[in-house]
Amino acid sequence: MVEFLKDILLLGLAAIILLIVSVLHVAYLTYAERKIIARMQQRLGPNRVGPRGLLQPIADMLKLLTKEIITPYGVDKPVFVIAPFISLVCAGTALSLIPVWQRFVLSNINVGILFVLALSSLSSYGVILSGWSSNSRYAFLGGLRAGAQVISYEIAMGLSLLSVVLMAGSLNLKDIVMAQMESPFKIYLIPQIIAFFVFIVSAVAECNRTPFDLPEAENELVAGYFVEYSGMRFALFYLAEYFGMLVMSALAVTCFLGGWAGPFEVPYIPFFWFLLKLYVLLFFYIWIRATLPRYRYDQLMGLGWKVLIPLALFNLFLTALIKLLV
Amino acid sequence: MSLLKKIFLIEIFQGLALTLKKLLFAKPVTIEYFDKVRPKPYPGFRGRHALVRDEKTGDTICVGCLRCVRVCPAKCIHVEFEVDKTTKKRKIVKYEIDAIRCIYCGYCEEICPVNAIVLTEWYEYVGFSREDLYFDKERLLKNWDEFIATQKRPYLNPFWKPRGVPLTMLPAKKREFTGV
Repeated sequence: MVEFLKDILLLGLAAIILLIVSVLHVAYLTYAERKIIARMQQRLGPNRVGPRGLLQPIADMLKLLTKEIITPYGVDKPVFVIAPFISLVCAGTALSLIPVWQRFVLSNINVGILFVLALSSLSSYGVILSGWSSNSRYAFLGGLRAGAQVISYEIAMGLSLLSVVLMAGSLNLKDIVMAQMESPFKIYLIPQIIAFFVFIVSAVAECNRTPFDLPEAENELVAGYFVEYSGMRFALFYLAEYFGMLVMSALAVTCFLGGWAGPFEVPYIPFFWFLLKLYVLLFFYIWIRATLPRYRYDQLMGLGWKVLIPLALFNLFLTALIKLLV
Repeated sequence: MSLLKKIFLIEIFQGLALTLKKLLFAKPVTIEYFDKVRPKPYPGFRGRHALVRDEKTGDTICVGCLRCVRVCPAKCIHVEFEVDKTTKKRKIVKYEIDAIRCIYCGYCEEICPVNAIVLTEWYEYVGFSREDLYFDKERLLKNWDEFIATQKRPYLNPFWKPRGVPLTMLPAKKREFTGV
């Protein structure tokens, strides 16, 4: 009994640490995004709150907390209230499956990849429900677009991850990292470069980020599915988007870039390589956003169905063939 | 060739290289709002309104001719006066400027025969409510005190003696005016 209680306590502690660290990461990801994009566009970015604007995310959060939460006339109240939570919970939960370090996995389950994929597609429920319940054309169209987009890019993403699973022979994320360490190239990026490409593109689409931010296209849909939201409920959607980025980057690090493993051990900081790879990928997200314009809707669907899915299928076939022959 | 370009996303990588170059080497072109060094506006900058305070009487030198009221294109000046029975002089009881309506054309200072009104070079004034920018007579006189304390004397606003108008066509007081 005492053992059991101790386990529960330790797990709770680990969960709280992970939560705090990831929320801080999300907060400063918004700051980094604003700062980096500003510099890429030769602007200054936030620099008023705190030294170099470092307290900006906290100021933003305080502002959103004190804002009035408006429930517009004619919304479907229960669904309207619950939708942002669905979005956030589904986006954030997947973090608990990511092996940050050999000895730090919150829940090391055997269907890890499947679970992450399931959660990431569930989070689109939040988007669709919010669009549906808002009683607004903009929100509704945004929700529909998000639904179509997430469903079509999910397939490409699943297929690209499937070839990784084929190579590693396991759905457990920790086992995948272990298998990468034993593989000839140490990381799956080199043999699975096509899958990595497909994964990154569809991850960007999955998180509704530029250049695939059709669901929230400002110039046609105002803000997309969360037009009618305000205050903390709006902030939850915002958080969900950045959590989604974090999860997708962490998944890419785990499945393609070798997780916590690095060329040499860094003393005292076992997370070093994981975090470094994570930051590089997050920077890549921001970099892409500063560079590329938005796709047209038919181009988006064409890219998904005519390029990425056949490419991922072909790669899967190739992987299976090589696996069979070797 | 173009197919290869398309497959390897050459143009997208070129774009990424461009933004990376900007991130690493380009300086921001933004000019920040000043914190310490305040820029000095040129003479004749049309800023916050003020009524010139007469140093002898402590009141405005306005004579109540209502020319500013008539010339104002935005109709933002409201003046009321009463006539003194014995001296037959007009005394201002109300002089109000709605600064939100004002379009800062400067016609009022050009037309004023005694140089009583001025658009000062005071440019930092905001309000939290509309009433904060609705200047009554006391407020306008206070504006003048605040402004003239920062200026070299004698102060002559360029709009008091508009360029291009021959001196002979100006009212007598304006013609001889050299500043306050």
